[in-house]
Amino acid sequence: MKNIKSIATLLGLMLISGLINAQSAIVLYNERVVEIEQTLPDATDLWVKPEDLTRVNDFVLKPEGACLDELCVPVLQDRDSAMFVTRQGQGWFNVTELADKLQQAHVTDYADGVWSFGVLPLERQSFFRGAVAPDFALPDRDGNIVRLSDFRGKKVLLLTWASW
Amino acid sequence: MPVWQSIYEELKSDNFEIISVAQDTGGEAAAGSIFDDANVSYTSIIDVNHHISALYNLVNVPSGIWIDEEGKIVRLNEGTYAKTHFNGQFGTDDYVPIVRDWVAKGAESEYVWDREKVRSSIFQRTPDAERAQPAFRLGTYYFTADNDTKAEQYWTMAQELDPTSWNYLRQDLQYEEGGSAGPQWQARREQIESAGGVYYAPLEIDAVDADN
Repeated sequence: MKNIKSIATLLGLMLISGLINAQSAIVLYNERVVEIEQTLPDATDLWVKPEDLTRVNDFVLKPEGACLDELCVPVLQDRDSAMFVTRQGQGWFNVTELADKLQQAHVTDYADGVWSFGVLPLERQSFFRGAVAPDFALPDRDGNIVRLSDFRGKKVLLLTWASW
Repeated sequence: MPVWQSIYEELKSDNFEIISVAQDTGGEAAAGSIFDDANVSYTSIIDVNHHISALYNLVNVPSGIWIDEEGKIVRLNEGTYAKTHFNGQFGTDDYVPIVRDWVAKGAESEYVWDREKVRSSIFQRTPDAERAQPAFRLGTYYFTADNDTKAEQYWTMAQELDPTSWNYLRQDLQYEEGGSAGPQWQARREQIESAGGVYYAPLEIDAVDADN
């Protein structure tokens, strides 16, 4: 009896670890490459745990919704919706649904589970409306993060070029 | 690039910074030596995902953007050169004088655009073209992981989603044809120009000749 139980446990563990492998994902957003250990299997959408949502795109799941700075997208959490579901007590957040709601472009390699997200349109609203230069955070050649906002108070000539 | 360095040394005391961003999937190996050879002391970035072009709707290199002390754009989306190259084949000597004028006079410079002019000069993208950026980003991810098949798949997808981007085409031709100005580029350029399109938005610097 004890043996049967431990075999069952072992099988269960193997099943779970198999699922964990099948559910892992990689998310690309700006300079980030975020590895997600566990996602909820879905043919078209990316579901992650709330703590992974923040690793992916800085949104924080709060009682009032998914929030980034002052913006909060309302999310029902006491029942299942297109944005949020609960399975065995674990909440899962739909990252692609949020992206679609915010009109953020995305492209996925489903075979490898690699999800690539474009620039958030809300970060460029004042660019299109008010000619405000969108901020960025990119590493310079020494690895220090350069933000445009670091140069406030100076005139900046922003030049692009290429070796090719 | 050495010319920009000399201009930087001339102007940097006036609360002025140059941020130079290489749009290069090849990273340090591709673009690093070009910065080094010019002994560049301004801010230098190698942007493997072409993030800046995506963020500012730029379609070609070189491109220049002027940003004032408050973070407002006062000129953008221009094919900018520090001087003419190869006996005037490309480049211009008209751009540096207007940069000097702006650094000296700020908002009073006649080369500063107002908000409406800047807004109307932002290159417009279709929703499909907006998807080109995450597709290109995905291709670069695979390129970095040495998966050339998938890199090519997603870089091609980016070109199809955004046929207006010279950057996506020319970056890819670097690997396909060993150069970004070969037969495919030439054919595409002729195709666009014969349809009345332009390779670069022309510089609008009417007043330079009068000043000189």
